[in-house]
Amino acid sequence: MQKAYKLSILYYLAFSLLLVASAVMLFEHKIGFSYSAVLEYYAGNEEKFISAQSAGGILKIVLPHIFVFGLFTMVLLHFLVFTKLRGRKSLLTLIYITFGVALLEIFSAFFIINGLEFFAYIKLFSFFALLALILYISWLLFESISYE
Amino acid sequence: MKFTVIKNIQKDSAMSLILRGFLLFILLYLISDVFVMKSNFGISPEAVNRALFGNEETYLDPMNEASFLEFWHTQIFFIMMILLTLSSIFIRVAKKSRAILTNTLMISAILSLISLPLAFYLSSFFVNIYLIAYFIWHFAALYMIVYSFWKLNAKSV
Repeated sequence: MQKAYKLSILYYLAFSLLLVASAVMLFEHKIGFSYSAVLEYYAGNEEKFISAQSAGGILKIVLPHIFVFGLFTMVLLHFLVFTKLRGRKSLLTLIYITFGVALLEIFSAFFIINGLEFFAYIKLFSFFALLALILYISWLLFESISYE
Repeated sequence: MKFTVIKNIQKDSAMSLILRGFLLFILLYLISDVFVMKSNFGISPEAVNRALFGNEETYLDPMNEASFLEFWHTQIFFIMMILLTLSSIFIRVAKKSRAILTNTLMISAILSLISLPLAFYLSSFFVNIYLIAYFIWHFAALYMIVYSFWKLNAKSV
């Protein structure tokens, strides 16, 4: 890989960290990081006069995220193909897990509004798991660019 | 990203045309971005301060935190994708100063994105840094687009 391209990828990783930071702040502000907060945000709470989200409302938020998650994950993961991880089984596992977790993060809200409250835990787990995976992939790329 | 591995882009007329078309769209995006920012958020210190913190005299409400975070989050994504693709094309066609220009573009874009929450949460002083960095990365991107366009039209790359 050319040195100049490595520079572009390093900056992409820096932007990814900013994106992760903004996602954490947005999630914390709009929803909250507890089981009850997630449940309240999606399923509502009559005592607190919080109305439940509709499927249409969630779809409005989900729609751009489907494209963005797909594109962002594809771009981040495809850089790994240029590293020493190329051809390893662990890379394929990482790709499956990352796309799977991203799908869970996006669609778990629909299960919550349909009465499956357990999915509030799934939503929280998949959110943090996705961020952890992004950071892990970023670290793999950073390590590869710096030491290879 | 196939264009990053083609040996001579100029000889590949289809790829060259595709990249020029793409550069045209990035150029249109950047110009439109300035106009949209001017009308919605502001591109002068007074206007940005007004958009972020409101104005008591004109009964203008400050931007709420949720709207600000959504705006910031969206900006990060769009800018990172545009600059990654633009810098990849520029690196492919440019020989000299590509590291300097790429660094200028990326650092100023990151600085503008970091200054935005600092201005909202800490001090309005960061509005000035945000605007300076915003214009630096726009001008750097503009130069890189025009240069890449010119190089793709040249006889050899």
